[in-house]
Amino acid sequence: MTLTLPSAREEAWRWTDLSGLPAIVAAVPDAGRDALALAAMPAAIASERTDTRLLFVDGVLHSSSTPGRVRLSAVDARTDHALGRHATADGWTLDLAPGQIANVEVVHVATGAASHVPAHVILAPDAVASVTETFVGDGWTNRFFRAELGKGARLMRAVRLLHASGFQSLRDEALLGEGASLVATVLGAGEGSSRVDALVTIAGEQAFAEYGGAMLARGEQRHEAAAVVRHAAPHGQSHQSWRAVADDRAVASLAARVEVARHAQKTDGIQSLKGLLLKRTATVNIKPELEIFADDVKCAHGATVGELDRQSLFYLASRGVDPARARAILTRAFVADALDRIGEEAVRDAFVADADRWLDA
Amino acid sequence: MATKNAEAIAAANKKYEWGFATDIEQDFAPKGLSEDTVRYISAKKGEPEWMLDWRLKAYRMWLELEAPDWAKLNVPPIDYQDAYYYAEPKVKPTLASLDELDPEIRRTYEKLGIPIEEQKVLAGVEGARKVAVDAVFDSVSVATTFRKELEAAGVIFRSISEAIREYPDLVRRWLGKVVPQRDNYFATLNSAVFSDGTFVYIPEGVRCPMELSTYFRINAENTGQFERTLIVADKGSYVSYLEGCTAPMRDENQLHAAVVELVALDDAEIKYSTVQNWYPGDENGLGGIYNFVTKRALCQGRNSKVSWTQVETGSAVTWKYPSCVLAGDGSVGEFYSVAVTNNLQQADTGTKMIHLGKNTRSTIVSKGISAGRSDNTYRGLVRVAPTAESVRNFTQCDSLLLGDQCGAHTVPYIEVRNPTATIEHEATTSKISDDQMFYATQRGLDQEAAVALIVNGFAREVLQQLPMEFAVEAQKLLGISLEGSVG
Repeated sequence: MTLTLPSAREEAWRWTDLSGLPAIVAAVPDAGRDALALAAMPAAIASERTDTRLLFVDGVLHSSSTPGRVRLSAVDARTDHALGRHATADGWTLDLAPGQIANVEVVHVATGAASHVPAHVILAPDAVASVTETFVGDGWTNRFFRAELGKGARLMRAVRLLHASGFQSLRDEALLGEGASLVATVLGAGEGSSRVDALVTIAGEQAFAEYGGAMLARGEQRHEAAAVVRHAAPHGQSHQSWRAVADDRAVASLAARVEVARHAQKTDGIQSLKGLLLKRTATVNIKPELEIFADDVKCAHGATVGELDRQSLFYLASRGVDPARARAILTRAFVADALDRIGEEAVRDAFVADADRWLDA
Repeated sequence: MATKNAEAIAAANKKYEWGFATDIEQDFAPKGLSEDTVRYISAKKGEPEWMLDWRLKAYRMWLELEAPDWAKLNVPPIDYQDAYYYAEPKVKPTLASLDELDPEIRRTYEKLGIPIEEQKVLAGVEGARKVAVDAVFDSVSVATTFRKELEAAGVIFRSISEAIREYPDLVRRWLGKVVPQRDNYFATLNSAVFSDGTFVYIPEGVRCPMELSTYFRINAENTGQFERTLIVADKGSYVSYLEGCTAPMRDENQLHAAVVELVALDDAEIKYSTVQNWYPGDENGLGGIYNFVTKRALCQGRNSKVSWTQVETGSAVTWKYPSCVLAGDGSVGEFYSVAVTNNLQQADTGTKMIHLGKNTRSTIVSKGISAGRSDNTYRGLVRVAPTAESVRNFTQCDSLLLGDQCGAHTVPYIEVRNPTATIEHEATTSKISDDQMFYATQRGLDQEAAVALIVNGFAREVLQQLPMEFAVEAQKLLGISLEGSVG
């Protein structure tokens, strides 16, 4: 496959550095590595409700998986997204009938090479699904995820990027029908770099979308989230809440956009983007964008970038908390904001633990 | 709602008040752009060799560049060979007094409402505020008033061509320092073919005794206007500069690519105010000015300050980002903007605040008002360099939508590389609520007056930054641009 990648000259990619990818594409997977041990590392979320477990090793389904309702074959969803379009291999499809419920947990293990896997989730009216994905290992893991939600369907999606090195790219596309609800949370707490792209389209009236997360970067890492919520129907509600933390020489970038189509009146779109710089060599880039074509809408966004609040640090110091601990507490609180959105307790606890592990390292 | 809106649109399509053309013989350079055109312009202006070389260098760079397409603008391809790059009124006025002006030009000014008469009156009155006008009539500076008084203060206020002849060292030192020749497509084009413009130098410690102002006006059909403005404020000086524009009604799109460079040294302050009311095209989007402007200020000195204030109501297409490079420690950049779009107008405007020095501060207040089927985009960048300690920025972008056929967009970039920075950004999008309209009409205002009142209130934070002479004109313009557009 010839690999054409977007360049930093393109407006949507100006903060992204994809220069390392061709080398990874040329690499071969390391068959000698114990994929199961790798997968166990982040301690797979022990939720009793999980009925489907998938383990992909370098993009190939591992025999230890329990596919449940998931079908593994060619995926009939396509995208023209610059990275997502490369995910043309076989992938997984979850197709739920009205009212059905599924809890899916997917772990992607990479051993140093590139892999591209698409996924397609189709929820009939009132179906409910929870999809948790964890990414570990090294290499370039490129994923395309498409969800279609029927009337009143609900999808809870949680993604952990825990790469030890390499690059993780994720393209999410979701189409929300009337009254459907999507809550998606992304946590970047590994040591590799990443780019998360999302396009959530509110196609039915009174749908609800929440897309956000926390991107934690240190060393030479570059994390970037670029999410778009497109309101194409009236009375939609969306909430984008992102937190970026950058340490050392890392770069954390957040670009979130709310688009409101001409007829999508009574839309309520909220954006909250916050960046925290822990070292003076780090960089945080933020772009809270609005594109509004309807006149009776409520769209507000707030964006801040700065260091830890001195007053809060002083308060904790005055209460006898030592400075390192005080910084950890405040950073944790900063990140927790974005992770609180996860509804399922076991998943939320696992995510918070991952964030803590990153903060304590 | 739909019928109400249709009425509003109909009422908003008021004819361009300033649409007329003056018949004065003009001297044209042949159509098209080539090295010869550049040489012709330079020769016509009697420029020294270094200036011609500078222009030619820019022209050659321009040939290699591509027109930018990242803005949220839908601009048909521009045929740069199908335009005139130089037009000069044949009746060459001597620069003594207003009385020596071609009466036709005088009448044009009067029709435009340029308050030259009023300014003369003002000047005659003891203690009244004075305004110096360097009027640019299709590329050539026609008259410069108040020169004597300015000279007594040591202020140099010249058309740029005069300045190149009279103060070559000063011009050469600063020209292209803030906006380099290769800066961007339109700035490079301007560097090659700029016809005229203004040069201001305020010496150390001088507070410019009057507001300086220039009126630009595009007159000849198909003439691109390429103005070049350079203002240098030396240590501890202050100047307030007003720029106002109107252009006659024409069916063909006219290109305007100006460059404005400001330099503020230690403790200097420059206040640059613009009211832009070029022909926006008719209700079907026909005609109208293409306005691609590069405006940038370099706050080089410690504690220097540059304040941009703009009221943008005209042009079919506006592409304009007055910016501040805050290099000096403690320097301050401000940007206050009201951009109004109606009918099929498109505006993509905003600012860049580049924080390089310690303790630099910037404030951005942008008010976008969209009506008709127009698109109004705020595009901004706040960048904090690793060297910039304790930076503060506050940004507020508010959008007001009149009608449901228009668009309001906000594209702010924030790039922070120093943790001591405090960056705040707020944005809101709203419409004129029925409650507000009801309240105002119930108090006896008609709909138009009510809309004008509410819009002026919405834009008040910016309008109050304008010098008095401009504030009145700006308020009037807002009203005219939006008449009848009831949300």
